[in-house]
Amino acid sequence: MILVALSCALFGIGLFGVLARRDIVAILASIEVMLGGPLLLLIGLGSTARAAAANAAAASGQAATVEGAALLVIVVAAAEASVGLALLVTVARRSHTTTLEDLSEVRG
Amino acid sequence: MNQFWSIALLWGLAGVAVSSALVVVFVRDVMRMVLGLGVFFLSLAGLFAYFAFGFLALAELFVYVGGVLVLILFAIMLVHRSEAGRPSLDLREAFVPGFTAALSSILLGFMFWPLAKSIGPVTSPGAPEALGRVLTGSLLSQFEIAGFLLLVALVAVVLVTGGDRS
Repeated sequence: MILVALSCALFGIGLFGVLARRDIVAILASIEVMLGGPLLLLIGLGSTARAAAANAAAASGQAATVEGAALLVIVVAAAEASVGLALLVTVARRSHTTTLEDLSEVRG
Repeated sequence: MNQFWSIALLWGLAGVAVSSALVVVFVRDVMRMVLGLGVFFLSLAGLFAYFAFGFLALAELFVYVGGVLVLILFAIMLVHRSEAGRPSLDLREAFVPGFTAALSSILLGFMFWPLAKSIGPVTSPGAPEALGRVLTGSLLSQFEIAGFLLLVALVAVVLVTGGDRS
């Protein structure tokens, strides 16, 4: 019960940060907070599947599947963070700002 | 007594996760925000370990605390100078984001609440051998795609940060 509430709360806190903050670093950090919620829910579901499995081998297989899926989510999140930070560095070099309001115009 | 400490640990880790997430979202100082993010990642790893997903907890530590957090620190060192060290947070305009976030959380809570009762205590620890079998078996294509995605991200980062020398 606490895990579902926690993951929804983390998603909401991160979403608030993404929508309310203006700085790109803060927005990227808030996205990482958002990603924590679904990861926790996935872990909770894995725990459920493990508890509901018929025997120890099936429980281990179920847990490993969920663990593998969560690992892939972590990998994708790490790739997203690295590309986002690279974009941040490039934008800051060109525009000398990291505030979204100052980056409202596109070129071309 | 043992169950009491187990529940206390779960509530403690959840409290640390929520409070550090609030620090990340509300604190204006960038370094404190990064520290809050580090504590958040550590609490997530603790929760993974609590539910007996030890390998995932280690991956969280290595990838997020050891990788993403250091990347964010490097990015802050490269781009935040003098007055830019305090990103803006205007709470007067935070009503619509707050309402949207609260509504999303409540809707997600309603959606996943039927699962809440079925998430029970930890029964058996996860085994890395089984994870290896899954990653090289049923999840092999996803594993390969994730590796390819990391390669593409690496090339993209090199092109984005180093491709504008002219």
